[in-house]
Amino acid sequence: MLGYISKRLLVAFCVCATVSAISFALMFMSGDPAIAIAGAGGRAQDAEAVRIAYGFDRPIVIQYLDWVGSALTGDLGRSIYFNVPVTEIIGNRVGVTLTLGVLSFLLALVVAVPLGIAAALRPNGWVDRIALILAVTGQAIPSFWLGLMAIVVFGVWYDWLPISGAETWQGYILPVIVLSYYAMPAMMRITRSGMIDVLATDYVRAAKAKGLPMSTVIFRHALRNAVLPLVSLAAVQLGLLLSGSIVIESVFALNGLGRLAWESLLRSDLPVVQAIILILSLLYVLLTTLADILNAILDPRLRGAS
Amino acid sequence: MTHYSPKYFLSSVAALAASLTFAVGTPAMAGKENNTLNVAFAAEPEPLDTYKIAGRQGLILARHIYDGLLYKDLDTGEIVPALAESWEFTSPLTMEFTLRKGVKFHNGADFTANDVVQTLNTVITPEYGTRYSISVDWIESVEKLAEDKVRINMSKPFAGAVEMLADALPIYPHDFFSENGSEGMAAAPIGTGPYKLVSQEAGIRYEMERFEGHYEGSPKSGATIDNIIVRTMPEMNTQYAELMSGDLDWIWRIPPDQAKQLESRVQIISAPIMRIGYVGFAPESMGGDSPIADKRVRQALIHATNRAAITDAFAGGASKMLNTACNPAQFGCEQDVTSYEYDPEKARALLAEAGYEDGFEMEMVFAAMPRPTAEAVAADLANVGVTLILNEQQYSSGIGKWRAKELPAFFSNWGSYGIGDAVFILSNFFGGGADDLVQDPELAEWLNVADTASDRDVRAENYSMAVKKIADEAYWMPMYNFNVNYGLAEDLNFTPHPDEFARWWISSWK
Amino acid sequence: MTDISPVSSETQPATIWRKSLRNSGVMIGGTILAIIILIAIFAPLIAPHDPVAQDLSRRLLPPFWQDRSLPEHLLGTDQLGRDYLSRMIYGARVSLGVGLGVILVSGTIGITLGLLAGYFGGWVDMVISFAITTRLSLPIVLVALAAVALGGASLWTLITVLGLLLWDRFAVITRAAAQSLRHQEFIMGLRAIGAGRFRILFLEILPNMQSTILVVVTLEVANVILLEAALSFLGLGVRPPTPSWGLMISEGRDNILFDPWLIAMPGSALCLLVLAVNLFGDGMRDVTGPVRK
Repeated sequence: MLGYISKRLLVAFCVCATVSAISFALMFMSGDPAIAIAGAGGRAQDAEAVRIAYGFDRPIVIQYLDWVGSALTGDLGRSIYFNVPVTEIIGNRVGVTLTLGVLSFLLALVVAVPLGIAAALRPNGWVDRIALILAVTGQAIPSFWLGLMAIVVFGVWYDWLPISGAETWQGYILPVIVLSYYAMPAMMRITRSGMIDVLATDYVRAAKAKGLPMSTVIFRHALRNAVLPLVSLAAVQLGLLLSGSIVIESVFALNGLGRLAWESLLRSDLPVVQAIILILSLLYVLLTTLADILNAILDPRLRGAS
Repeated sequence: MTHYSPKYFLSSVAALAASLTFAVGTPAMAGKENNTLNVAFAAEPEPLDTYKIAGRQGLILARHIYDGLLYKDLDTGEIVPALAESWEFTSPLTMEFTLRKGVKFHNGADFTANDVVQTLNTVITPEYGTRYSISVDWIESVEKLAEDKVRINMSKPFAGAVEMLADALPIYPHDFFSENGSEGMAAAPIGTGPYKLVSQEAGIRYEMERFEGHYEGSPKSGATIDNIIVRTMPEMNTQYAELMSGDLDWIWRIPPDQAKQLESRVQIISAPIMRIGYVGFAPESMGGDSPIADKRVRQALIHATNRAAITDAFAGGASKMLNTACNPAQFGCEQDVTSYEYDPEKARALLAEAGYEDGFEMEMVFAAMPRPTAEAVAADLANVGVTLILNEQQYSSGIGKWRAKELPAFFSNWGSYGIGDAVFILSNFFGGGADDLVQDPELAEWLNVADTASDRDVRAENYSMAVKKIADEAYWMPMYNFNVNYGLAEDLNFTPHPDEFARWWISSWK
Repeated sequence: MTDISPVSSETQPATIWRKSLRNSGVMIGGTILAIIILIAIFAPLIAPHDPVAQDLSRRLLPPFWQDRSLPEHLLGTDQLGRDYLSRMIYGARVSLGVGLGVILVSGTIGITLGLLAGYFGGWVDMVISFAITTRLSLPIVLVALAAVALGGASLWTLITVLGLLLWDRFAVITRAAAQSLRHQEFIMGLRAIGAGRFRILFLEILPNMQSTILVVVTLEVANVILLEAALSFLGLGVRPPTPSWGLMISEGRDNILFDPWLIAMPGSALCLLVLAVNLFGDGMRDVTGPVRK
């Protein structure tokens, strides 16, 4: 167990280091941060002044190592745009994104898994067809389209729900529904296909032949194995939700991390972008580790693995 | 069996949600009823220290909170007293100000010469990091002469000095500022302006309240609106929806097509501004090998582009096509210049004369311009055989490439800090600096004289020569002057100004 | 005694063909897909106008079911006066091309990596998992932003960037499936009789994951196309004036409240394409079926 944890920690560290180095380089490649900060009305000398003030004239490797050094002591620097510690800016906004992401994930799960199971029980039946249509529209409709339609219907035609801001809890209803509708199809289809595969295996057919009731067959035998790919997907989906929140947060004017990430990217607010990417990579490592552990629990045959 | 479809599904969920929230509904924030102006910006305002703000949004808020020594009345074009009662040039490089008495800051402190001296002496230092050096690099030092008198020593002659003092250089309370610096000012802005900041969520939401103690005789006095709530909503469509439903009273920068659509439902005002769109040519780029090093080619390109049609289609409203490398509303922008009318035949003839009758291929980077305008230019040029490869970039990477002389053509815009004087545009692009890819010494000489002379006639004469030559040499393809479309609640009186700064202390309800 | 022979009558090509004709998913999905592909191939013959020809005097004309429309522009025009029907037809090319190209690249990379990781485990798995996690933490937009700054936006930049970035879902799913298949009896049986590792990998395990892979492919196609839309909107995708449904959706975004047809039409085309791919994929999955163990 200890070996397993220390291995995962090592992986976590390597991932974070690699990702932060790559993103650091990419940010410099995508534009001159000094010019971005100096603003569109800035003259060349304004950009130069910024360059010197923030140390952008030093070699990139030095700048990166400088950042790493501070990060290791917990100092993620100050946001160039807001001139306050990065941790403060992120702290203010992380709550919104987490709420949005987790609620959407749960909603999607609650809808997707039962639907996937029901569809798998009778492939090509009407439930399956309906589920398919739901899945396809959920995937193929751009989330900003769905979000804007929601705004038009519920904000303009019928003034039922708030369409911007998170000041009241009702402000979350529309964004959560839109975001989960976007995440739900993948989960549903993986559940369905996993279930179909498993239901066709010998040992499940044997269980049915033994006369076990359908619910026992599903929950005791089939679901555990059908869910394996879903668990891995879920880890990815949660991350996808967090990035999907960029669009949703912009459309519904929510003060979240996704929006902060995108805007900071555009205005070359390096410390903020680096910090968010660091958090993202830590999160992914955590999620994939959890997924692996969950997989090992659900399928004892995997426990011997790595 | 009920009819299942995604629409039905969604509306059932909606009905459920609605039934839960119907009683509660949305919080009432009607504008006129509680004398509150609800504003939305698409871009986040920066921290409220004017000297560190580059974007308009932050500056608009700052001008409601802070005041400068002087103020520019845009209706008359005159500079009028603000925190300074009177001023004079005691020598070509010194200005003396007599300060107004009885002015109070939002926190109750008295306004004195100490505030002026401390604020200005701090912000001119390189360590402070004032964003736009053009606003402060002309000041050498500031001295206190008496409790109500200060002297500014200039480091060089600068025709735009007085413009800068008019609201671009606000005065901060010296105790608070020296103790808390830029960060402290941004976190808790304290000024002498007509509104004070009540609360803020940086970049997200700001609440301002009218300051009853705003000084008498201020050019910004007379505010009737009690509260102003400013929110950032990145999605324009959400802004339109809220404007139509009455939750917002003021939005801006509505694209022309959408403004036309909204006209029937809300109040739309269109007003021209100083910002202009242009395509800059760099004759020296790519080692001087590019086709546009030849003046005839540049002229041909301008003849080939139907700029008037593009202006009508995409700029709309109050925008007009330009023939000069500056906005006609700016002082010094001579209008009697060579103009190149839309004539594809002539363009082809010129190209043939220059040796390009088969046309050529060229890359054009565009930044901060609506994509259809660039596509329209490319389509027009394709008609005369010039294949324009469009490359959309973020402004920062585009301008970086421009300064590195990698681009033959760059399509973007310039706001001149909203000021109606050619000193804020021409020398940036033709005065010999890093953004000047023409590097014409004659031009640079004229512009230098015009920028530093104190005699208006001398300035006008030199600018005129420069503007004419730029047009003759076709160094730029000037496009159009921008206009801003404002979306307003039906019962709001709002006066737009050409410098893009919203002045809500003038606004009122009908 | 379980039959460990993987070859059964169900996998014979003739049988598959016969089953396909009876499977509604394959037929409907396949037909729609075929139509779209034909439209894409014969675009120059079908489209009434040049999709990039602009006419500024005829901007934003509505489609034929509304008042101000013109008969020669059945589906109206866009912000630059370009015929929408022609752009829709040519758009099929870009969407299909980008979808196919990216899936080919990312699928190959992802499936290979996932197979290797899931089957071999150990340090191979560690390295590949490390790569997956690194890739997941890297925002696509950042890479696209840098790629565009360096090379300019173009179709090839887009396919390369997306292809090199989107293999993660393939890898993750294939890895999990391979892990679970690894311990199946028939695989162990094969190992016991000394069958070579790569034979097992590519001839036994891979075919058994068909259904899962098919599902991931159908999921990813829509994902890729929508991603192309998002990137094109940000100016990081297809270079204008190229017509692509994604770009058309993005360009219509400003008008969504007033001219909803600008988005509705390419959006519906997209939906149709994704539906067809999914129906076809599902149908094929049912037809080829999981191999009996």
